[in-house]
Amino acid sequence: MSIVIRSVEDLREIEGLLYEEASCLDRGDLDGWIQLYTDDATYWMPVKEDQEDPINHISLFYDNRVMMEIRRLNYTHPRAPSKEYRARSSHIISNIRVTDRCREGCDLTVTSNFHCLMHYHNKQTMFGGTYTHDLVRIDDQLKIRHKKVVLINCDAPLGTIIIYL
Amino acid sequence: MSYTNEELGELIKPTKLHRKIYTDPEIFDLEMERIWGQSWIYIGHESQVKAPGDYITLNYGKMPVVMVRDKESRVHVLHNRCGHKGAKLVDMPCGSVSAFRCCYHGWTYKLDGKLTTVPHPTGYDGTGFDKNDPQYSMVPVTSASHRGFIFATMNPNPVELKTWLGGAGEVLDNLCDRSPEGEVEAAGGVLRYEHDCNWKLFLENLNDTMHPMIVHRSVVDSALEYIKTLPDDADEAREEAQIIPPFGASYKKFEETGITGFPFGHHYDGGKQSIHADYSVDPEYEQAMIAAYGIERTREIFTFNTHNTLYYPSITIKSAIQNIRVVRPIAYNKTIIETWSFRLKGAPESLLQRTLLYSRLINANGSMVGPDDLTAYVRVQEGLQSSGNDWVEIHRNFGQDVDQGDRLTNTGTSDLDMRTQYAAWKQYMTTEVRL
Repeated sequence: MSIVIRSVEDLREIEGLLYEEASCLDRGDLDGWIQLYTDDATYWMPVKEDQEDPINHISLFYDNRVMMEIRRLNYTHPRAPSKEYRARSSHIISNIRVTDRCREGCDLTVTSNFHCLMHYHNKQTMFGGTYTHDLVRIDDQLKIRHKKVVLINCDAPLGTIIIYL
Repeated sequence: MSYTNEELGELIKPTKLHRKIYTDPEIFDLEMERIWGQSWIYIGHESQVKAPGDYITLNYGKMPVVMVRDKESRVHVLHNRCGHKGAKLVDMPCGSVSAFRCCYHGWTYKLDGKLTTVPHPTGYDGTGFDKNDPQYSMVPVTSASHRGFIFATMNPNPVELKTWLGGAGEVLDNLCDRSPEGEVEAAGGVLRYEHDCNWKLFLENLNDTMHPMIVHRSVVDSALEYIKTLPDDADEAREEAQIIPPFGASYKKFEETGITGFPFGHHYDGGKQSIHADYSVDPEYEQAMIAAYGIERTREIFTFNTHNTLYYPSITIKSAIQNIRVVRPIAYNKTIIETWSFRLKGAPESLLQRTLLYSRLINANGSMVGPDDLTAYVRVQEGLQSSGNDWVEIHRNFGQDVDQGDRLTNTGTSDLDMRTQYAAWKQYMTTEVRL
């Protein structure tokens, strides 16, 4: 079923999903976060601004469901040294634009800008860039099939990125 | 204070190291002069500058240099500094030029670094300035290639690169021999990961086989727990499942891999066995290898299986995985670690994809392995500010290193790697150089 943007309510639903995802990440709730994704979902953070390919080029993140599940279990593991410090973050998402281009296996593409202020291990870091969400409706529920996060400084030397942005 | 050679030597004892080697900015400056100044330092792979005019820039220790291919296809490493006022001539990480032209006053250099053009030259008439004096060109750095891997040295009297690599060079050869054509090329980009710690803490971890079962237990647990939830008919040979669980190998398993140390601070763990030994082999790739080398030689290449190999102090390679990490020190407590991946020429693209998967799962800023290692290094960096105990201990299997002629060997859980690195550190640091 294709998603047709007919009204302000439809846009609100899309925003609601994006905000809910951001809220899960701000709370460090990967159990809730993973529920927002389809079983065949991917999460991609390229290392180049114009990177076309997550397979034949290195990325900061490229997770399928397997890696999402391992990461979800790892995030709260009591013996993960880097997870001893709880990351606190605040996401702001804006400039949400809907692209009605229907790509294969995806009903709708939504692009937005984001800032994420993160406090982790005595250090505050500002992440910022562009999100692209490919959304699909399954059983009347809007879900994320693919998310791409392009950081403004994706090709700069970066520190640890402890959780999805 | 300034250190005398004797004082520097006193910082390294057979079974302990003084904390100042990690925490004192003055020691860091001396390391850049004496270790980076005398050793061979990894610059890049010649495939990064394929065509004439292609260049990459980087810092050699603290000094900006450029690696470039000239019109005769020779690769040069040059100081990236204008002979005039000293401006960096190129500032992009990589690119292609027909000549180097300074952005400030337009002095222009050929691709081999020779100064060719100085604008409005009449002002120099009768001043003694000579455009052809080599001091005004881009000054070359001594460089040499081993199978496409370009190293450079500021040492005016260096040992030959081949001598310097010594017996440890067989790992770099093994990386290249894993290509049916015997050649590799840099592919799939680079990761740059900022480490808030001293560069040596990264090197010390490479063959530290006493840490994986502690530091990486959480990711191994998580991977195994996830695999348990899969239905019985699921494909358990997935690559993620091959790559992560070996990090939880037992002390006994790591003991058996062994550590081998060489002159100049090089060492590796593994050889016959390593945590990379049980990866499956793509049948198409195996056929291409057998066609190129024959069955016996192919088996030799595949069964030489090291984990991490260090060419002290700047490059560590995984031949079985075809990635390298490069150490770029910034300050006593800041280091950038680059991860580069390599394509085996003549092998299926799936091998490069596995290399990139490995780099992403293990070495990336967003991975579940590298950040746990880094947390431990930062704890050491901060803990060593304590004067409660001035020494870091390295006793494991001390006095039991076995002399094999050109190399020393010991059990895989020994501190032979530490002894190897710090013998080189002491040798370099107590030899004065002028840079």
